Amino acid sequence: MDKRQISHDILNILERLRIMHDLIRDQNYEDIPKEELMNDLNESLALLKTRFDSLAQ
Amino acid sequence: MDKIICLGKNYSDHIAEMKEAAPEMPVLFLKPASVFKEIKNQGTITLPWERGLIHHECEVVFKLYKKNIIGLGLGLDLTLRDLQKELKTKGHPWEISKVFKNSAICTPIQGVRDFLNWQETPFILKVNGEIRQESKLSNALLKPNDIIHYVDKFFPICDGDLIFTGTPAGVGPLNPNDVIEMRFGPIETTFQLVRENG
Repeated sequence: MDKRQISHDILNILERLRIMHDLIRDQNYEDIPKEELMNDLNESLALLKTRFDSLAQ
Repeated sequence: MDKIICLGKNYSDHIAEMKEAAPEMPVLFLKPASVFKEIKNQGTITLPWERGLIHHECEVVFKLYKKNIIGLGLGLDLTLRDLQKELKTKGHPWEISKVFKNSAICTPIQGVRDFLNWQETPFILKVNGEIRQESKLSNALLKPNDIIHYVDKFFPICDGDLIFTGTPAGVGPLNPNDVIEMRFGPIETTFQLVRENG
């Protein structure tokens, strides 16, 4: 995967994290249940780490 | 945000005022994130007045996460109308009439639960105190879930994408110094259009 694609992925994950932050901050679990949201959060954080590792190489 | 997805011809009264034939399904086009402008109350916005007539198109905006509507705003999809007409007449793509700095204005996004029955909630655009556009999303040809399914057929939907859901009748010209008021449920935003030098 080239650096540009990795960078694009990172920015998309950060956007997703920002949305998750807003939903969790507002305790808004009507559209996305809390459990699903927390799973998404863990997956996104793990993916963010791997993408940053790739970008740093 | 990856992109702004826009629907055209999603309200029959707007199709009638434009004297255009109703398509089988609404038209889809994109605006890049770089032309997006979130407008705060009492803010100002500059537009490229030198490029010709700019029309407002007031629209309900969806914010998406996992293809769910997680927030709502009220947007102005701005159009360089004379240029668009010219391009349509020539049979050319009309992106340059839709994609320019600040051509996708939106109020701050509010959570869906901040609205009572949001599809029936009136949205209103006033210019210098005069109501120019007023409608509700239930008047649109495609319903919210159908809009997302329809868009999903053609474009990859990314978390954070916005959908501008089409405009009702009443589109019209904007001028420097116009005061714009946008109301939709808990959203009440007033701002002013200005020239480049303020």
